[in-house]
Amino acid sequence: MTELLQTLVLGLLLGGVYALAASGLTLIFGVMRVINIAHGAFLIVGAFVTYWLWDSFGIDPLLAIVFTTPIVFAIGWLTYKVVVSPVRTAPMASTVLLTFGLALVLEGAMGEIWGNNSTAVRPSYTDESFTIGGLFLPKAQVYGGLIAVVVLTLLWVLLTKTWLGRAIRAAATNPASAELVGIKVAAVAALVFGIGIAAAGAGGAITAVLYPFVPGSHYAWIARLLAIVVLGGLGSLNGAVLGALLFGLAETMTSAYVSPAWATAVPYAIVFAVLLLRPQGILGMRLREDAVPA
Amino acid sequence: MSVPKPIWVGRALVLAAAVLLLVFPQVSDDLYYQNMIILSLVFAIGASGLSIISGFAGYISLGQGAFIGLGGYTIGVLATRMPETSVWVWVPVAGVVAAVVALVLGFVSLRSRGPAFVIITVAFLFLVQVIAVNWVSLTNGTAGLTLPLPQWDFEIGNQPFYYVLLGLLALQLLMTWWIRRTKLGMGLIAIREDETKAATIGISLPTHKIIAFMASAIFVGMAGAVYGYYLTFIDPRGMFSILLSVQLILSMLIGGKATLWGPVLGAFLIEWLNETANNDWGGGNTRLFLFGGLLVAVVIFLPQGILPAVESGLAWLRTRGKAGLVGARIGTGGSLASLTDRVQLVDRSTIPDRAVLEVKGLHKAFGGVKAVDDASFAVPEGSITGLIGPNGSGKTTIFNLIDDTIRADAGEIWLDGKRIDGLAPWERAHRGLGRTFQITRLFREMTVLENVVAVQRRFSVAQLGKVAVSGAEAKAAEELLEFVGMRAFRDQKARALSYGQQKLVELAQILMLDPKVILLDEPAGGINPVLIDRMGEMIRELNSYGKTFLIVEHNMPFVLGLCDPVHVLARGRTMASGTPDEIQRDPAVIDAYLGEDFELDYRDEHKVGQ
Amino acid sequence: MSYFSRRRRLSAVALTSALAFGLAACGGDDSDGGGGGGGGGDSDDPIRIGTSLPLTGEFSQPGQAAEQGYQIWKNMVNENGGLLGRDVELVVKDDASNQNTIVADYNALIGQDKVDLLLGTFSSLLNLPASAVAEKAKMVYVEPAGGSPEMFSRGFKFLFFSQQATADRQGLVFADWVANLPEDERPKTAAYPTLDDPFAAPVVEGAREALEAAGVETVYEETYAIDTKNFDTIVSAIKNADPDLVFHGAQFEDGIGMTRAMLKAGLKPEMFFQTNAPSFGDQFSEGVGEENTEGVFFAVSHHPDAETPGNAEFVQAYEEEYGGMPPEDAADAYAAGQVLQAAVEAVGSIEDQQALADWLRENEVETILGPLSWDENGAPTGEFLIGQWQGGEAQIVLPEDAATAEIKRDWTPGGAG
Repeated sequence: MTELLQTLVLGLLLGGVYALAASGLTLIFGVMRVINIAHGAFLIVGAFVTYWLWDSFGIDPLLAIVFTTPIVFAIGWLTYKVVVSPVRTAPMASTVLLTFGLALVLEGAMGEIWGNNSTAVRPSYTDESFTIGGLFLPKAQVYGGLIAVVVLTLLWVLLTKTWLGRAIRAAATNPASAELVGIKVAAVAALVFGIGIAAAGAGGAITAVLYPFVPGSHYAWIARLLAIVVLGGLGSLNGAVLGALLFGLAETMTSAYVSPAWATAVPYAIVFAVLLLRPQGILGMRLREDAVPA
Repeated sequence: MSVPKPIWVGRALVLAAAVLLLVFPQVSDDLYYQNMIILSLVFAIGASGLSIISGFAGYISLGQGAFIGLGGYTIGVLATRMPETSVWVWVPVAGVVAAVVALVLGFVSLRSRGPAFVIITVAFLFLVQVIAVNWVSLTNGTAGLTLPLPQWDFEIGNQPFYYVLLGLLALQLLMTWWIRRTKLGMGLIAIREDETKAATIGISLPTHKIIAFMASAIFVGMAGAVYGYYLTFIDPRGMFSILLSVQLILSMLIGGKATLWGPVLGAFLIEWLNETANNDWGGGNTRLFLFGGLLVAVVIFLPQGILPAVESGLAWLRTRGKAGLVGARIGTGGSLASLTDRVQLVDRSTIPDRAVLEVKGLHKAFGGVKAVDDASFAVPEGSITGLIGPNGSGKTTIFNLIDDTIRADAGEIWLDGKRIDGLAPWERAHRGLGRTFQITRLFREMTVLENVVAVQRRFSVAQLGKVAVSGAEAKAAEELLEFVGMRAFRDQKARALSYGQQKLVELAQILMLDPKVILLDEPAGGINPVLIDRMGEMIRELNSYGKTFLIVEHNMPFVLGLCDPVHVLARGRTMASGTPDEIQRDPAVIDAYLGEDFELDYRDEHKVGQ
Repeated sequence: MSYFSRRRRLSAVALTSALAFGLAACGGDDSDGGGGGGGGGDSDDPIRIGTSLPLTGEFSQPGQAAEQGYQIWKNMVNENGGLLGRDVELVVKDDASNQNTIVADYNALIGQDKVDLLLGTFSSLLNLPASAVAEKAKMVYVEPAGGSPEMFSRGFKFLFFSQQATADRQGLVFADWVANLPEDERPKTAAYPTLDDPFAAPVVEGAREALEAAGVETVYEETYAIDTKNFDTIVSAIKNADPDLVFHGAQFEDGIGMTRAMLKAGLKPEMFFQTNAPSFGDQFSEGVGEENTEGVFFAVSHHPDAETPGNAEFVQAYEEEYGGMPPEDAADAYAAGQVLQAAVEAVGSIEDQQALADWLRENEVETILGPLSWDENGAPTGEFLIGQWQGGEAQIVLPEDAATAEIKRDWTPGGAG
């Protein structure tokens, strides 16, 4: 029983971080119909920036999110302006290839800047845990989970309670009409891309404390993140959060009760099954298929 | 269509390259270049195979590398288990294994397209890898399989690998070339251009896609087997690396997808760049910049690839200053009397008095919105039946339900005395249902003639092997184009046509099906008055030879002058039926619909602008 | 010389490159006038030795260490008058941990760069295809790593492994020692989490069989995939099994990850053995925290304090050029160079590769890892060393004649006594 509870708790803590990392991916898809394969790479960029702040200036990696996020936001915004915006109207398959290329470039750039060695961020509390009943709660994971919840809440407030949020949602629902009521869709898109990437960066800052990473780690991450947003329903923030929690549980459960060897198969199996059986995911909406293409 | 000159230049280049490749191992024993060519050949075969599904059919796959890996594993598993047998025996077996596994992706493509499909192919690749890692008894897990070193004479070196791969590439190209010029290839391109539309003109999607997927993998599996034998070592990480797939897709894109030589050119170019980057520009990270940067650059600047860009550049040079055909006049049209070959003419007096098409109790809801709610009506054989109703009353949705562009929630559809609501769109087309779309849906990258011959009137696997644009088919298509007045435009790309011209071509396309019932969605919408009259004439003429029509139209004079009977839809159900006169006098109809003249005008004007 | 300027690891490496360049140039001046005037006799040209290493990608950690080892070996050879009186020049390519690249690289080394001799690469996964290229070209291939038993089952005649034993034998010395502990000190239960990897898995397999034979009960045994990042669940499951000994088959990154997850979960078995990662010296102690290393066992091929011939000079040269203690992979690479050197000097020529191979099969070579000798298939015939972290330093504790410190039984992380 304790083991099950322990597995559940670990799964949920993991899911919280996944939710943050996946939120940007689903947001970007929702607004601009771009599946950003480079999302995992941006997450690792966030991790390396965190490492750099911690290693060079001794800033606590979790507090460093205050700096990491704007830096990564700027990188994301710039990337959008330079690379993504020219092909915003291209077929989705093209943008998949484009962002895949972007991921490779980022991987190379990180290798060039920070090297290809395994990097770890170890503040003093990394190896400590809270113990409650027979359960252990790794401190870093708990802090990370809490920060993820805070950032996600901020994101949610931004999207639902502010003018910007309404503009974003309008641009997502109907770009042409949004333009008519005075929303600059292109500017909103750039902003959303930046915000989405920044969320990945914040997720990267947390994961930097939890796991060692190398530039090539992004493959494993993008597989997970895609599985999560596909599971939750592309474009749905709530779906991504739900998907992330479920995914965290599925991964830890497989690892604990089936075999760690198969745990890495979980994301791919989920993607495969969900896209085939219920392409709209848990919370996504199926678009009306006969609607005349614009 | 290309003027002979560049074609001959191209052929000379290809011939020269082929001769060079053939003699290279005889004149040089440089291992570096031999290895580079061997790898390039593997990638060329892979990219050319990929072009069948990604270039022709438009299904972008990042899982193509898996078939190289599967080929490698087939040879690895079999050769280590049966050391007595010659390793080469397993090469064709590997092709079969790859083709069979490709069936899986083929079936996946039946349910998912676009970016979802791309993501699935990535998942497919990694799943295959995870299986190779964990199925230790077969694959020896991460430790991999080692193949015996070749037993032949040291002096022969890599030549057997080299020439076998060269042979495989020749076979692969032969197959690609053959597919491109047959009905199969035409169908695949139609699927790429507009899958829904392709289904409604009789193209059986599953057959086309599954054959395409198997074809795209078979020689690639064989090449993978040779590659595995050449490496002498096979393991999951190397064989199922995503970078392998990236290199394949990059080769295809950069050379020119859906072209015969583009993927080959791309494969040699990328492999050369790859090696050069590795040897002279600093290795690992440089290569990531190179591959990633190229992928980004190609998508942004060269989405067509090198060969098509060169081709269109040459075409521009040759046609510069000459007037295009697009501004030419639409022909006055021919008469159906000459079309005995394709369109079956029926003596009107022999037409029985019965409904050729009937819908009963159709339902379709989108979320909570009931778009079609218990619609029932009949289309008498030999009639021109009208279907009118206010915007959002469900007319187009009913068309979509009738031809299965979307599947009805409930209700029955009867065609020619047989129930068809369980059938797929292409099966309905084969039974005599033809349909045009409210906003024309031609295959934009095909020529006018290709658009018409892409139609498949019946289904048989054998006909897929027939040459697409030739013989009786092409002749019939030209006659139909003559009938609608578009013969002069036969070699224009469909995307270059005006909206009205597209409407005419779409009509000719549907006639190619020789349907019993023709569903026209706003035939008079968005075209000039002269063309509206011509459209009316053609409908009447076709009708006089026994063709039955069901027409959705907002142009009231057009409908009321042409149709009898007329059905009126409101809120997804039939509210009235009768002759034009009866309908015009029906108070309920006037109240619900005909009174809203302003709405109508606004809508029509709006549409013209689209 | 462009090969020197390729390395990127910040200033330390820039310094190294400059040094290496300088040394090579000096060596050239000392010998016969740096190759004589244009197109002179062949024997004045430097001997070119080619290798391709995973400098980037997933094996970059050991790949870069191996390159350092090769460079030190080359520098020291050139300082001492070269090989057969000629300078040695290294041609190093980067295969990015990628198999078709490594095949391309070795083909390029042989066909394009026309190197005179080959040295191997890192990891069995890369050595397997690379050694086949060398075998087809009939060139001696001395590999510093790649101890998977598969390597030596193919009947290759030009392949030699420059460590003491193949992977399946690396844990045996430790297992034997545990089996021979007094009854009350011997662990009763053991857990075997293992990376699914061709070198980690055989080590664990070999040790588990020996330990089970000695009556140590197996309470946990699972393999996890190479891209596993989250070890919390695995550790949680092991914690439930409550073993006395954790014998972990790891590479580097997952070794660090697992150790940290164990500390977080409060899983502190009495004894802790881990393959590979603890042999990475400072990188290991920085990764898991120096206070947590106390008592960790590992199998290793080299120790900086070992009194093998030439070891002190190697360690000193390494420290001068790269700073810190040499990682094991650098030492293994250095030893590979020594093996090749011994064969070339004994045969007295680099023309006849067959003669070099024949000589190696018949003779024993003194290296900084100790004496090495090979069987028919190029597999080494010695035994591994067992190391243990004590007081923040990696020591050799087994076998006794090579030991640099007294063996201790327990793992005591967190500095607790």
